[in-house]
Amino acid sequence: MLEYVIRRTLQLIVVFFIFLVSSYLLFNAIPGNAFSNLLLNPTLPPDAYEQVLATYGLDKPLFERLQLYIINFFKGDFGYSYKFFPKTPIELIAERLPRTLMLFSIVNIVAFYTGFLIGKILAWRRGSRSETWITITSVFSYTVFYPWFALMMLWVFGYKLGWLPIGKFLYPEKWYDAPFDSDVVFTSMIKFTIAISFLQFLAYLATRGIESLNLRKYIRFSSLLLIITGSYFYWNSSNMIIQKPYAMDIAYHMILPVIVVTIVAFAGTALLTRTTMMEVLKEDYILTARAKGISQKRIRDRHAARTALLPVVTSFIFTIVTIIDGSVLTEQIFSWPGMGQLLLQSVLEEDIPVAMATFSFVGIFALIAHFVADISYSYLDPRIRIKSQG
Amino acid sequence: MSELNEQDIKKRLRRESFKKNWNLFKQSRLGMVGLYIVIFFLFLALLQPMLFITGIWNKGVYDPVVGYEPIKETLLVVDCPKSNEYPTEKYDSFYDCPARGEISRKTIFNEPNLKAGDYYEAFIQPAPPSSRHLLGTDSLGRDVFSQIMEGSQVAFVLGLLSATLGVGISTLLGTIAAFFGGRIDTYLMRQSDLILMLPTLPLLFIISAFAELKVWHLAVVLGVLGGLGGSVITIKSQALQVKVKPFVDSARITGGSNMKILFSHVLPNVAPLALLFMVFSVTGAIASESVLSFLGLLNIDMSWGIMIYIAQTDGFIFSGLRYWWLILPAGLAVTLLAGGFYLVGRGLDDVFNPRLRKR
Repeated sequence: MLEYVIRRTLQLIVVFFIFLVSSYLLFNAIPGNAFSNLLLNPTLPPDAYEQVLATYGLDKPLFERLQLYIINFFKGDFGYSYKFFPKTPIELIAERLPRTLMLFSIVNIVAFYTGFLIGKILAWRRGSRSETWITITSVFSYTVFYPWFALMMLWVFGYKLGWLPIGKFLYPEKWYDAPFDSDVVFTSMIKFTIAISFLQFLAYLATRGIESLNLRKYIRFSSLLLIITGSYFYWNSSNMIIQKPYAMDIAYHMILPVIVVTIVAFAGTALLTRTTMMEVLKEDYILTARAKGISQKRIRDRHAARTALLPVVTSFIFTIVTIIDGSVLTEQIFSWPGMGQLLLQSVLEEDIPVAMATFSFVGIFALIAHFVADISYSYLDPRIRIKSQG
Repeated sequence: MSELNEQDIKKRLRRESFKKNWNLFKQSRLGMVGLYIVIFFLFLALLQPMLFITGIWNKGVYDPVVGYEPIKETLLVVDCPKSNEYPTEKYDSFYDCPARGEISRKTIFNEPNLKAGDYYEAFIQPAPPSSRHLLGTDSLGRDVFSQIMEGSQVAFVLGLLSATLGVGISTLLGTIAAFFGGRIDTYLMRQSDLILMLPTLPLLFIISAFAELKVWHLAVVLGVLGGLGGSVITIKSQALQVKVKPFVDSARITGGSNMKILFSHVLPNVAPLALLFMVFSVTGAIASESVLSFLGLLNIDMSWGIMIYIAQTDGFIFSGLRYWWLILPAGLAVTLLAGGFYLVGRGLDDVFNPRLRKR
């Protein structure tokens, strides 16, 4: 096992190195560079452009630049952004990441729960009319042309009804005299969300062993109420009351993106849950449970759904990996200045240090997640374990 | 003689299994709906060249890219009230004037002598649906229905080509990885890790920046990316299960070579999953093409994504339902065709995965 881990780690480093080199070459294959548009200015002195290139080291040959970049990368120096000059890519990522995480962690959690619930019902009501309609709806939202759908929703809720803001993540005029920047609020909102979901998860774990389904439902419901009142007091406490209006502003801007992305994202989980659940329902122990005379609801929730949860959770973990990748389009449409927009802008403007930093951030994220998944699989599944040793 | 018999039997068996599978597929109603949708769009895609060849449609008028027909409409010239005079008797708000069939006098420049109450003949560019243009025309006077047909040709070529290419690559590589194991397996798995690490959409942006992407190129790029990525891992895990089945061992005992076992025993058993993958990846390819065209990054003359892109850049998307024929058909076509392929895939899933069937 240890040997396997070590071998995988070595392979991981090699893959990452190839990834770095190939993406650097890819960025340099784009014609022009980040400062090409300076040439459009006819009054620019002829040597000024060359001087700018020399300042940023772009006049060196490609191979030398690549070498420098790789060496500096492993030293932990990612250079400076071309477009936001004094800032480093790390600063930019630290600024943008909380916004993306805030939006998409909520989306993923909501989408996962609704998807799992709906998938469970779909598999259970197989063949009924409601199943057909729910399936059609989820297939529609799974395959809907996403930018088109998002624009339609923006038109309905943002423009026609005027309930929700169109784009941006805050009203700048409300923030003129704010004593802190938005990232402080984002960080405390993320902490709050994590704490809440952790508490809810704890409540779920604690009530798992309760036999009576009704009692369990009441206890879970009251724990939810308790958490809601607790969070009300938390946001009105002396520390947080300064941040409260600003947090409300951000939350108001978050409603529409969250709804739209959830509608698009829940269907994948729902359809997957339906498939796995239907496979589970064919198992012998479900038949045994039926024969024992256990109530239908209990079979659904405790015997079938729990087993069906495993592959769904696995796919959920892989969804988390693709958060930043998937946020590109959403953030572009809702003009939400997060990681996705940073990634897109830096690629389009050939801001190579930032683009490389974001690419490698996404890459490391994905690589580590796959690594952990592989290791835990081989730990859980003896068949893979034996193969890896042989 | 006996050889011929054997072939006959083989043929009959194949026909019978096809019939059985077809009956199973027919049982899933949504799968049939998906099939009908796909056939409908295939019909649309094939209909357009037919109409051009038979001369029912004139190329100058109905061509999806360069066609044009001047459609004239008589409009009533009105004087719009000033913005502080609303609401008036006729108009509730600023946005209601000019209403349908009317034109504000201020916007006419070529005939300054017209007064309110006169009639004015204008070319209308996004013309509403009529008997000549079933879905109206777009802002450049091109027939929207013809564009939809052209778009479905693009979608079929792109979707089928990239899905076939991708699934071909991933099935071959996945089976090889499972069958030979060792270094080849390690190499292929790390290669798919590498592909999975790259964020898809930005990668396509980069590629479209240094290469002018046409439909064929995009199909190849999407196919190769999809084929080397995650699907290799899934196909490999399926092939691993096939590899340990007894019939592979018996084939080996009877002296089958590696190649023979790989191609005639393992591959056919992975094929159903591969077909399933193919149908699902058509959905993905259609969506990717539309997204890229929607962002204006492709060098394609006409597609559904470009139709929405044009509607958006011309500012019709926030005009709501007044210009519905510019917004709804293209978006619905993408959604429906992708959904149709998805439903067909689900129907096939029911056929190939016996545990999903009804009792």
